[in-house]
Amino acid sequence: MDAFRIFIVEDDLLYGEMLRHHLALNPDNEVYLYRNGEECLKNMYREPNMVSLDYSLPDMSGLDIMRRIKKDFPDIPVIIVSGQEDISTAVTLLREGAYDYFVKDDDVKDRLWNVIKKIRENLQLRSEISYLKEEIGRKYEFRNVIKGNSPSIKQIFSLIEKSIKTNISVSITGETGTGKELVAKAIHYNSKRAKKPFVAINVSAIPKDLIESEMFGHEKGSFTGAVTRKIGKFEQAQGGTIFLDEIAEMDLSMQTKLLRVLQERELTRVGGNDLIKIDVRLIVATNLVLSDEVKKGKFREDLYYRLLGLPIELPPLRYRGNDIILLAKHFVDEFCHENKMKKLSITESAQQKMMQYPFPGNVRELRAIIELAAVLTDSDKIDESHISFNAVDATENLLMEENTLAEYTRKIISYYLQKHNNNVLLVAKKLDIGKSTIYRMIKEKQIIL
Amino acid sequence: MSDNQERYHLDKLIGFVGDDPAAVQNMVRIFLQTTPELLEAINESFKQKYAENMAKAAHSLKPTLDVFGIDSLHDVIRTIEKKARAEELDNELFELINELNTVLECVFKSLKLNYL
Repeated sequence: MDAFRIFIVEDDLLYGEMLRHHLALNPDNEVYLYRNGEECLKNMYREPNMVSLDYSLPDMSGLDIMRRIKKDFPDIPVIIVSGQEDISTAVTLLREGAYDYFVKDDDVKDRLWNVIKKIRENLQLRSEISYLKEEIGRKYEFRNVIKGNSPSIKQIFSLIEKSIKTNISVSITGETGTGKELVAKAIHYNSKRAKKPFVAINVSAIPKDLIESEMFGHEKGSFTGAVTRKIGKFEQAQGGTIFLDEIAEMDLSMQTKLLRVLQERELTRVGGNDLIKIDVRLIVATNLVLSDEVKKGKFREDLYYRLLGLPIELPPLRYRGNDIILLAKHFVDEFCHENKMKKLSITESAQQKMMQYPFPGNVRELRAIIELAAVLTDSDKIDESHISFNAVDATENLLMEENTLAEYTRKIISYYLQKHNNNVLLVAKKLDIGKSTIYRMIKEKQIIL
Repeated sequence: MSDNQERYHLDKLIGFVGDDPAAVQNMVRIFLQTTPELLEAINESFKQKYAENMAKAAHSLKPTLDVFGIDSLHDVIRTIEKKARAEELDNELFELINELNTVLECVFKSLKLNYL
């Protein structure tokens, strides 16, 4: 930590020098002594970490100086040291933002010493929090979070870049496992709101009768079980971003309340009367098509248009071509690094096997498959035998793809070969095709055994 | 008992600046520079019947006398400040100011002798 800069503003030269000498006994302190308020204000450019202010100065009162300091430097703690004990003055000063109020008695040096220790600890904590926030920002730098070179993902990068420059609401759609929350976090942590909270709510996970209190908070005693005041997620996200996942699951009555909050930019806690101003950026996500839900009468049209903002539609992994391999390599590297394992490579055949699979669970499923493969292998390679799609029946998802008949044929034959231990004769018989067709496809590497 | 043992002790000052002879000497020098000015302000204010000024000077002198362990003036300086604030510029105040002058003159002499 840099030197801790302390300003002592004291017209009593002897007292000021004593304080300066005392506080300078700690070599980490850099102490400046000023004899009046004007001198102190002129030197505020040095950005002290703390100001110790005599209440009765010749040119202005301690309260006036404190107000001027607080106006431009609200975070600098100001300690008032006074020659006499006056409770009402002390209360006024503390209300106006003084960090502490001391009387010039025998304990003043110890109290100052302790208060400095406390301020230093707070500064240390603040700097750690700030460092961690930056770390999170780096972690969510969107090109670190969302990997890919496919045209569809490049289009997503472009939309994210647009969204971080403004406060526009963002609606993210995409199948399960495509990374909707990651995109929401990437937008938040790369935006001007990055240092404020990111608060996520999964609407479908909260019982209907609790969601209002969860989102907007409640006052003590507002309903059975409300034993204390609760601050809702919108208030927690003040200045930052709120992410409402599975927004389509919200019931119509709650939709009405949400619409009002978004229109008025203010809310009332359940059971409360006070209007609380809200400054949050809204990002919503769903795996349903919201416009369809509007047509079905399950989602309010006015709320739909308010939430729509910048729509980002995340592509399913199966439409992202080579991104599958790029992501697989990224996940295997990450897994090996996290588990202090030697680096693993993915064989060509394993890659082909993955490219033939539709990944109904998308990126989340790919990660799980790769992590399992990394555990299963005994060598420095992941081959096709380690790639297991057992968790999901691939045939169920086969028709989700819009393939050519030849591609379907290849996939069906591959599936049967896998199922019947590569017994070509048996597969030919079961599918009622010639065995030479299968051998030809193997020879031409259309099928990998 | 010598004069300086009766009139002042530097325990609090040493508590502030540490057992550092050079620092103590520096503080004594500042004391000998600033205290006579405040004393003069009190005397002059009494003569001019300028109570507000007297209260300010007494208020400033208070912590200095405490730090230099001039215990015999602990109540005296507080009463002077109180009376000045109440604008009671009476004979009792005159006596108190005299006492303040007498004690401080002795302290100045002792400090000069011992530290400069």
